Amino acid sequence: MKRTLTVLLLLAMLLSTGLSAVFAEDAEIVDGKFTTTRKITVEIYDRANEGGTKPEDNFYTDFIKEGMLRDHNVEVTFVPVPRWTEVDVLNNLLAAGDAPDICVTYSYPTIQTYAEMGGVTDLAPLLEQYKDQLPNLWELLGDDNIYWNRDPEKGTLWAIEALLFVNKRINTFVREDWLKKLNLEEPRTLEEFEAMLISFRNNAELLLGADAEKMIPYATSFDVGWRNDHLITSFVPEDLSDRDTYVRGFDDRHMLYPNYKEGVRVLNKWYNDGLIWKDFPVYPAGDSTEDNLLKAGYVGAFIHNWDYPYRNGEDSIHANIQRAYGPEAGFIAVEPFPNDAGIYRKFLAAPIDRKVFFPATNTEPVASLFYLDFISKLENRRFLQIGEEGVTHEVLENGAIKTLAVQGEKIMNSLNNIDYTITINGLDTGNPDVNVLSVAQGYDKVDARYIEKAYELSSKDARYGKNFSVGLIEAEVGMNTSLNNKRDTFLTQSIVAPVDQFDAVYDSGMDDYLSSGGQAIIDEREAAYDKYY
Amino acid sequence: MQDSRQLRRNANMNYLRRYWTLYLLLALPVAFIIIFRYFPMAYILSAFKVNNILKAPWELPWAKNHGFEWFIKAFQNRDFLFALRNTVTLNLLDLLLGFPAPILLALLLNELTFKRFKRVTQTIVYLPHFLSWIIISGLALRLLAFNDGLVNIVLQRIGLDPIPFLNSPGHWVGSYVFLGIWKEAGWNTIIYLAAITSINPELYEAAAVDGANRLRRIWHVTLPGLRPTIIVLLIMSLGRILGSEFDRPFALSNRLVTSVSNVISIFVYEYGIKGMQFSLSNAVGLFQSVIGLFFLIGANSLAKRYGERGIW
Repeated sequence: MKRTLTVLLLLAMLLSTGLSAVFAEDAEIVDGKFTTTRKITVEIYDRANEGGTKPEDNFYTDFIKEGMLRDHNVEVTFVPVPRWTEVDVLNNLLAAGDAPDICVTYSYPTIQTYAEMGGVTDLAPLLEQYKDQLPNLWELLGDDNIYWNRDPEKGTLWAIEALLFVNKRINTFVREDWLKKLNLEEPRTLEEFEAMLISFRNNAELLLGADAEKMIPYATSFDVGWRNDHLITSFVPEDLSDRDTYVRGFDDRHMLYPNYKEGVRVLNKWYNDGLIWKDFPVYPAGDSTEDNLLKAGYVGAFIHNWDYPYRNGEDSIHANIQRAYGPEAGFIAVEPFPNDAGIYRKFLAAPIDRKVFFPATNTEPVASLFYLDFISKLENRRFLQIGEEGVTHEVLENGAIKTLAVQGEKIMNSLNNIDYTITINGLDTGNPDVNVLSVAQGYDKVDARYIEKAYELSSKDARYGKNFSVGLIEAEVGMNTSLNNKRDTFLTQSIVAPVDQFDAVYDSGMDDYLSSGGQAIIDEREAAYDKYY
Repeated sequence: MQDSRQLRRNANMNYLRRYWTLYLLLALPVAFIIIFRYFPMAYILSAFKVNNILKAPWELPWAKNHGFEWFIKAFQNRDFLFALRNTVTLNLLDLLLGFPAPILLALLLNELTFKRFKRVTQTIVYLPHFLSWIIISGLALRLLAFNDGLVNIVLQRIGLDPIPFLNSPGHWVGSYVFLGIWKEAGWNTIIYLAAITSINPELYEAAAVDGANRLRRIWHVTLPGLRPTIIVLLIMSLGRILGSEFDRPFALSNRLVTSVSNVISIFVYEYGIKGMQFSLSNAVGLFQSVIGLFFLIGANSLAKRYGERGIW
């Protein structure tokens, strides 16, 4: 028994040394092409769309596979990972050592956790060595996005950041037809906005007829920070320093910014005045109750993703309202909340998107880098984003690209094939003017003026997040979910509290947030910032 | 001597030859239990170590404080203490109100004389068991929401004030326990009904002859007949006093009641799974299991002291 084991072990060792000798052979590259065919696997999001194609095998994957083989002599295999549980599935794959050679995720903490355990390839030396051979990657992402996550001390780089090309966040929407019916101008101040909500409430009979009692002047959700951001952050002073945006920037809803509480106080008052949807706190994420209220036309105003009412073609909020109330009806984006300097400031994220990394099990890092370069080449990503002319898009007179809905093998499983263009998010035709016109054309059955306004306002007077490269903040590890839940909980509770208890509820919630790890994060960020800047 | 040993061996061989197929059948479930229930126990070690999923548990370095870092961390965490309190409170309420419910229901069902009606009723009370908590939470929202819920709409129409079933912590606990009973009471009657059928009918006849009415017969015949079953189930549910379901509190909870609805499983989910602190969640899980084991052993020996059979 012992002897067989020894023999087996010896054999295994021999085999593995032999194999590693093969792998260790220097990459023979001529004109960006390997002399012997290399094989890599690439993660691809699976959205399981009805009527969609297999994400790992379709018209567009064929385009990539053929191109990679032609340009670099690299054979590509796609590994589907469910979009909505990507982090969990990726965790499993990484833990089992089965992760694809090129992984992509929205969660940097996941990458960091595995990097700490030694499970991720350091990209810094590779990028340095092969920079000349990756011109397209550099042209698209630049040093900013490529080195975004570089550790300031050790110089390690675990992931590169895709480019958030269309950096839009949210908008404030109001019912345009209701404004007209009530002879109101678009609100330009908080006072006007509040007066508008009151007017909606008081004129429910006129606006909704028999459904008057269903009137909801303003809708929101338990995700208070996201769904009221324009309103609340208008209370943040204009002179907020860059240092503060970083030190108090752990919470992506801006909840730690100064004077945030006063914005929430407005919501508390509105709730108690009957201006806000009463039942918002009990509905969980992903519940469609609020969407249905919006579609039914009972809601006067709300804040949401910058193009929210216009999404989803026939089933969009916009299309539903127009069917029920006529072609005049619809939500329009407005700018009602100036800050203390009279500026309609919007806090937008940094231009980063998904994070691309190579697990330590990747034996073809160079071929993988070539893949990223291939996918970043304008010609290639443009084809992936808009497909074939006459099939998946047409070019309008003004040059705009209009996407066409197709069925069958050339269908795109995600808008502009975002799942394949893993280094960019947002349509880029190569011409900025055409881009804006094209985005407006991307919404079926919605007049372009709605989209153009929403597109403009969402990032007008924006303040973009900056990169502060200070390395790992220990206090943040593992705290995201619990702190975010605490935030949502106490913000929700302080909105529904009676007016005279608002301060007590808000302050005790904030204390709990800070003492459960929030303060430790602020302190550590403060120290790290002062060390490097 | 030699002969008897030889004989015994032959007997064993015969036994094996005759029944080996049964043992073969048993092999699969035993293998299942060993592979999926016992092997993973090696990872209990990671509750005392610095976690690294890429390494085997015995290769990991010990955690700080003699390996007890994660336990200390958990007990220093206010959220964990709240979760512990909520878990115990909700489970005790479930035990207090939820445990007798199926017994009562089984007694009532047993007294039904019209067989077809009994069968239909039984089927109807089983049904909720097959719904997931996600579906039930959806139903609960449509029915019990403060303003838009059907129940509250009815209450308001007949001139009463709406009841914050899901919005206030106190009411929420009530709704939580009630929904639990509604979902599981029917299903849990099965085991009691089975036990009732094994009671000797002559006892009922004798009691009837002695002049016992229906209630007396339930009290003096049915309930004593059920006692061993009740004791076993009680012991087993005491073993789960610190255990916590995940989907039930998670699905029913909302932002207004987290102070009472966050239980240990939700704590583990937020900090351990989502926050990827697997050692921490492992430590919490181990703590739960050990306390659960104590309760189980305690309840069992208590039962034995009072002359019951217990579960082992």
